[in-house]
Amino acid sequence: MNKLQHMLLHRINKSGMPSISMRLRLFLFLLVLVLTMISGIIVILLVSGIFTAGLSESSQIIKSELEHSSQEISNQFGQLSLQAVEFSEELSKQFEDTLNHMNLTIDKLSTNPDKLEELISEVYDLTYYSLEKADCSGAFIILNTTVNPALSNAEFSRAGLYLKNMEPNIISSSAPNMTVLRGFPSIGRENTIGLHAQWSMEFDITEADYYTIPQKEALHNRRLSMSRLYYWSDPLILPDTSEEVMLCSVPILDSSHNLYGVCGFEVSAMLFKLSHMPYNHTFSRMFCMLSPLQEDMVDINRSLFAGSYSVKDLVEEVTSLKVVPDGKSFTTYGIENKNIYLGYHSTIQLYPNDSPYADETWVSAVLVPKDDIVNSITRVNLILASLLTLLFTLGIIISIVFSNKYLKPISEGIEIIKSTAPGNAPKTNVQEIDDLINFLSIYKNELNRKVEEDKYQLTVLEQFAEKTKILSPAERSVFNLYVQGLNAKEIADRMFLSINTIKTHNKRIYSKLNVASREELLLYINMLKEIGRDLS
Amino acid sequence: MKKRNIVIIVTSLLVPAILLTIGLISVKDENPVTLTLWHNYGGQLKEKMDVMIEEFNGTIGAKEGVIISVTSISGSATLHEKLTMAANQDPGAPTLPDITTAYPKTALILEEKELLVDLENLFTEKELSAYIPRFIEEGRLSKEKLCVFPTAKSTEVLFINQTIFDRLAEATGASLEDLQTFEGIMKTAALYYEWTDNQTPEIKNDGKTFFVSDSLFNYTLIGCRQLKSDFMKDDAFHFSDPIVRKVWESYFNPATKGQYAIFDGYSADLAKTGDIVCSTGSTAGVSFYSPTVTYSDNTTEPAEMTILPYPVFVDGDKVAVQRGAGMCIIKSDKKKEKLAGLFLKWFTSPEVNLRFVSSTGYLPVTEAAYGDIMQEEINHISDPNVKKLLEVSRVMQTEYDYYISPLFDGIDELMDSYNTHLKTLADASKKTYLSLLDTQEAELAFNIIIESKYDEFTSYFK
Repeated sequence: MNKLQHMLLHRINKSGMPSISMRLRLFLFLLVLVLTMISGIIVILLVSGIFTAGLSESSQIIKSELEHSSQEISNQFGQLSLQAVEFSEELSKQFEDTLNHMNLTIDKLSTNPDKLEELISEVYDLTYYSLEKADCSGAFIILNTTVNPALSNAEFSRAGLYLKNMEPNIISSSAPNMTVLRGFPSIGRENTIGLHAQWSMEFDITEADYYTIPQKEALHNRRLSMSRLYYWSDPLILPDTSEEVMLCSVPILDSSHNLYGVCGFEVSAMLFKLSHMPYNHTFSRMFCMLSPLQEDMVDINRSLFAGSYSVKDLVEEVTSLKVVPDGKSFTTYGIENKNIYLGYHSTIQLYPNDSPYADETWVSAVLVPKDDIVNSITRVNLILASLLTLLFTLGIIISIVFSNKYLKPISEGIEIIKSTAPGNAPKTNVQEIDDLINFLSIYKNELNRKVEEDKYQLTVLEQFAEKTKILSPAERSVFNLYVQGLNAKEIADRMFLSINTIKTHNKRIYSKLNVASREELLLYINMLKEIGRDLS
Repeated sequence: MKKRNIVIIVTSLLVPAILLTIGLISVKDENPVTLTLWHNYGGQLKEKMDVMIEEFNGTIGAKEGVIISVTSISGSATLHEKLTMAANQDPGAPTLPDITTAYPKTALILEEKELLVDLENLFTEKELSAYIPRFIEEGRLSKEKLCVFPTAKSTEVLFINQTIFDRLAEATGASLEDLQTFEGIMKTAALYYEWTDNQTPEIKNDGKTFFVSDSLFNYTLIGCRQLKSDFMKDDAFHFSDPIVRKVWESYFNPATKGQYAIFDGYSADLAKTGDIVCSTGSTAGVSFYSPTVTYSDNTTEPAEMTILPYPVFVDGDKVAVQRGAGMCIIKSDKKKEKLAGLFLKWFTSPEVNLRFVSSTGYLPVTEAAYGDIMQEEINHISDPNVKKLLEVSRVMQTEYDYYISPLFDGIDELMDSYNTHLKTLADASKKTYLSLLDTQEAELAFNIIIESKYDEFTSYFK
């Protein structure tokens, strides 16, 4: 190790600080860069709302689904209401004509069962085609009479006809799958349609709001037109049947405002499900419901559902859901913390403003279990977090690799510098390092040359000092006084000698010390003094 | 930097990243796969099916992330039409479901369009061996591919309105044992016609019909098999066979005389109004029989039902038809297909399957289900009719041979044509017979009518 290296090491050690390698420094710099970039990405994601995008996207999906469903439900129920009124008007006319022709009144029909059967048979075609034309699953006529008033249950038994389309969702079926749910079996047999598995001859009107309410309102509101008298029942299961249905019933009135009964259409739970099932791949448990809304509560048992998920399962043991609107985001539907759904609802206007039932509020709602939305957003954010962490890890790995790569030529350069012959070392191909090596190589040569020179000077002075030992005592005294800085005259005075004697001593001193003049002598003396050599 | 430090840093960063990723994967996907299902279990069967599906969705389905959603319930004829429409992508046709019940004839149409999954890929050999082999065989269509999986099979039995029959027996001495053979049914039908005709002496020839068969094609097909002959040969009717004529006449003759009903619908419809006393029909039809009979004046009376094994022609073998749709899986993606297979496995596992059939009148599909489990189930059934039916089906399972209807292109049309023409001709004969009765003796009138009818009938198919 040369003097320079010693000096360098000395300087480094002298600082007293714990040394940090360049590689570590570079790694830390790169790490800061990576962290800055990731922080920047996070800020951009936060500002652009990516972390909360799932929420607004879910909200948008549900809103558009609701818009679509509401429109469809409004259309279907609105159309059916109009068609039911039309059906009632045609029936009223036909019944009135037939009864006049038979010279009978509706209350006399029970004593003329054959005429009753004839009356109903005559409207079979009208019922069948009305059913076929309407977007519904059944059409019914309930007359204010019974075929056998002598029966014990005659008070709650009403004659009529109920045709049910078992496949209302097939648009272009060549033969609609019609059955007779209620009515004379002969009607089915004559028209080659089967009896429904749950067929009965007459209607059981025990607790039949769809039968009593429209007739009651027709009597109370005699001035109202038929188009204001239709009534939508709650979803219900008719006695001795198994399927949930919602009925639109309209009173059948003759021209003298005599009530014959009611007629209307049925929307079965299956038809509603198939017609309004949300088609959405994001939330497979999304469902649509049609419900009455009362005091911020939707009644599950009075609702129709459409959705692939078994909604009744979902709302097990819950009969109604509290609606809690949130101005900014989803409306919440649930009870306490259980069975919470998020979604939106909009009002479905089932009745005109001057209808006796106009104060009923029905809503169509599109809901998704809250957990599904939370999971969906959590998943998206977890994916983002996971990606950022992976990006950060990648940044670390790249920083390590880069700092290693970057420091490799420097390390090699230092090794070269440490070696004895940097001038002969191979190039590192890093310009700055090669320049440094060149520079250090030149510097090292220069340094060596100077050392050589110093060595030579030292040798001459050493010889000079050695020669002073051969001076005579007198000459030594004179020499010593020269060393003390006196001139020739001062020396003559100090030694009480003549100047010529001093000159003689000088000549001998010059001769012995091999100098040519007093100036040269003094130069040597000064040089020896400088290097701290004692000449006395 | 020391390598050890690098390893520590990288590991300490990679571990949370990996953990996060694992966490991400382990967050349960709350959006399960929805599989649509079409089935033909209507009426009261629908309720049972709903309960079964809810049970599946709430248990295995919830665990495996699958929801079965029923998007169509229709009769087998409508279902056939609907599936055909959907398979042909007719305008207005609905999209095919993931799982559907289908008869082999429907499955054949779907398979021709390569829409069905080979169910053998979803079941192991061991799993398949648990099922009754002839049920599995029925589902093998083209190229030995298992297209229809047996879920609930049926056969035909004899349903009897015991309440009306008891009155007949009391008045005429008719015996229930006679109903074990078709000859006995003919004899009893004649008795019943006479007895009911005599109840209104002021109106002549208004006796009531006693018997009807839900499928006259099956009636003839099985009758011939019982008498060791074949109704169909080389994809055509074998009318020249005297056995075929014998079986044909066993329906046509009493129908002409007004003793058997000629009806374009299900026998259960006639049973509801007391217009027949007994009928052969699918075991699955049991729930369509009303527990009461409603008469034209809306009076009703409870109707006790008796179920007997499918009648046999005298000296014939005990043979009955094997009916009932199975389930098919429509091709979609591997995940959906696998989950659909899971539903089929669950639905046909002995206990679950027996629970379904015990209230629907279908027959279970595994050997195990006919064992002790069935006896256990019979003891717990509340519906007496289903109880009787299962007991009969157990007897038939051991004593009867089951015959599968031939399956070929055009069989449907041929069956429909046979049923329609037979009814039309029988109806016309009946009317002529009744009109002749005004002027002729019954036997003579009948002989005049019947003479050329078989030839007239067979000429439709030449």
